[in-house]
Amino acid sequence: MTNRLRVLRAERRWSQAELAERLGVSRQTVNAVETERYEPSLSLAFKMARLFDQGIEEIFSDQGPS
Amino acid sequence: MSSLPPDTKEDFESPSLCERAGDMPLVPTAVWVGSYLAALVLQKYLVLPDALKIAVALIPLIPFVFFVRSFIAHLRKLDELHRRVHFEALAFAFPLAILLLMKLGLLERTDVLSPEDWSYRHVWFYLPFFYLVGLTISWRRYR
Repeated sequence: MTNRLRVLRAERRWSQAELAERLGVSRQTVNAVETERYEPSLSLAFKMARLFDQGIEEIFSDQGPS
Repeated sequence: MSSLPPDTKEDFESPSLCERAGDMPLVPTAVWVGSYLAALVLQKYLVLPDALKIAVALIPLIPFVFFVRSFIAHLRKLDELHRRVHFEALAFAFPLAILLLMKLGLLERTDVLSPEDWSYRHVWFYLPFFYLVGLTISWRRYR
């Protein structure tokens, strides 16, 4: 599964630590999701979607990098 | 398309030992280990009646209960990735502990191992060691 978390974070010029704080998770979790080593739970994915005001499928994709 | 993220130095760093330890229940752990060592010393150097020997052997039990409670409370405060790391560490350590105890039990029957060196009282501390190895392996996977 791929995701656009890093790009979305870039648009807001947040550090991983800032994003982690907004999501209520650790910086390591944000880093692991961004590097696609860890797939977040559905509830965390919804939190991300709400935070970035996007649909989950706009952030996460199971198609692989285009 | 936006520019790439304002990554900070810490964004590229693996979690440090302190970060990994987080708010681990260090005091209850220290109290438990301390009570175990105290019981060990008392058993070794004092000549005690049987009833008192049993009481001394049970000394670490209460600190251990507090340790387990605080460790579970610590796990409940962790986020989902950290919980997964601990879960994978357990998945590594538990079968290894079973393997160790099973092998020791079988080897004991062959008289290869001296019970003075390889009894349960000597090998229990391998179990937290396996857990720490499991934690390290799991963290390497997600860093």
